[in-house]
Amino acid sequence: MLLIMELTPTELVKRIAGGSDREAEGEFCRMMGPRIRLYGLRHLRDSQSADDLVQQVLITALETLRDGGLREPEKLASFVLGTCRMTVLNQRRGVRRRQQLLDQFGVDMLAPAPSAGPRLDHEKLANCVQGLKERERAVIVMSFYDQETAADVARFLSVSEANVRVIRHRAIHGLRSCMGVAL
Amino acid sequence: MSCTERLDAATLADYWLGLLGQGEEEHVEEHIFDCRECSGELAEVQAMAQGVRALARAGSLLMVVSESFLNHARGRGLNIRRYDPPPGGSVQCTVTAEDDLLVGALAANLSAARRLDLSLCDPTGNEQFRLVDIPFDAGSGNILWQQSITFAKAAPTSTMVARLIDVRDSGEETLLGEYTFNHTRTLPGPGAW
Repeated sequence: MLLIMELTPTELVKRIAGGSDREAEGEFCRMMGPRIRLYGLRHLRDSQSADDLVQQVLITALETLRDGGLREPEKLASFVLGTCRMTVLNQRRGVRRRQQLLDQFGVDMLAPAPSAGPRLDHEKLANCVQGLKERERAVIVMSFYDQETAADVARFLSVSEANVRVIRHRAIHGLRSCMGVAL
Repeated sequence: MSCTERLDAATLADYWLGLLGQGEEEHVEEHIFDCRECSGELAEVQAMAQGVRALARAGSLLMVVSESFLNHARGRGLNIRRYDPPPGGSVQCTVTAEDDLLVGALAANLSAARRLDLSLCDPTGNEQFRLVDIPFDAGSGNILWQQSITFAKAAPTSTMVARLIDVRDSGEETLLGEYTFNHTRTLPGPGAW
């Protein structure tokens, strides 16, 4: 497969606007797919829904780009983000149309790459989480597992919400440092 | 599409948790879509969050938990084995293959406690491990201590003594409660460590 390296947004938009540059479209999908998926995970909190969002947004964006519909190519990222926001708002509509478009564009290219995300050493993470101070561990678990509000966490720890934020940030940095991730 | 200004990991975590104000959240999203490095950082935060959730779900962390944590786990269909030994007393306990979480509820008057440590001792009273400055609600009247289910399932028949200790600024320690857990192994495995 031919990879297109380091194209600027403007170059990418111009090439896709021709309507037949599958390599440029592929590069666009590889570049934006993971970011769209993260947006989907953040707002939909469900892996399947996030994968669906990736396909819907890429389809919609590629349609516009093929037609030369993006007037300001340097704003490609904003355009994709805007498409994400609109798609989430309208996600309950257009199921039939989506399948039709999937057939037209091809499922393979639009599918998010499963190996795109970072690999996590779960055993190391367990040691790092266990190595946190008790309150840091409590905040991290309550935040990421329970998804409790800052007020609930603050009540449990008998500290202020501002203090919870400080503890959470310290714990995040501690975990990343322990995991060997550059800060 | 590269970064001139990197977003801090803590900010990305706050974004992931939905803790930013609307304006800041929109700013972060604009940046992430425009920045390869920061979208990669967010992916790492997301993976870490997923890993922490998996650890909590697996019950493998030794830690103090809240009632809401247990309610959340119950809501997800996890089996919680809970023991409530009286202060100064003991309880016969075990763990089965079906159990997902193992919790000891340690009742004590916490109203005057400043800093609370949980000391885990062998049957002769020698401290093996200490959880320092554990979170607690002074009005709750108990501490919910989660033992690692992975550890418990592997443990032979044995006795563990848990002590709640109030630690003053001077370093003076006051015992608030002592609880003895007589664990009987019911899963197949070695009879001793």
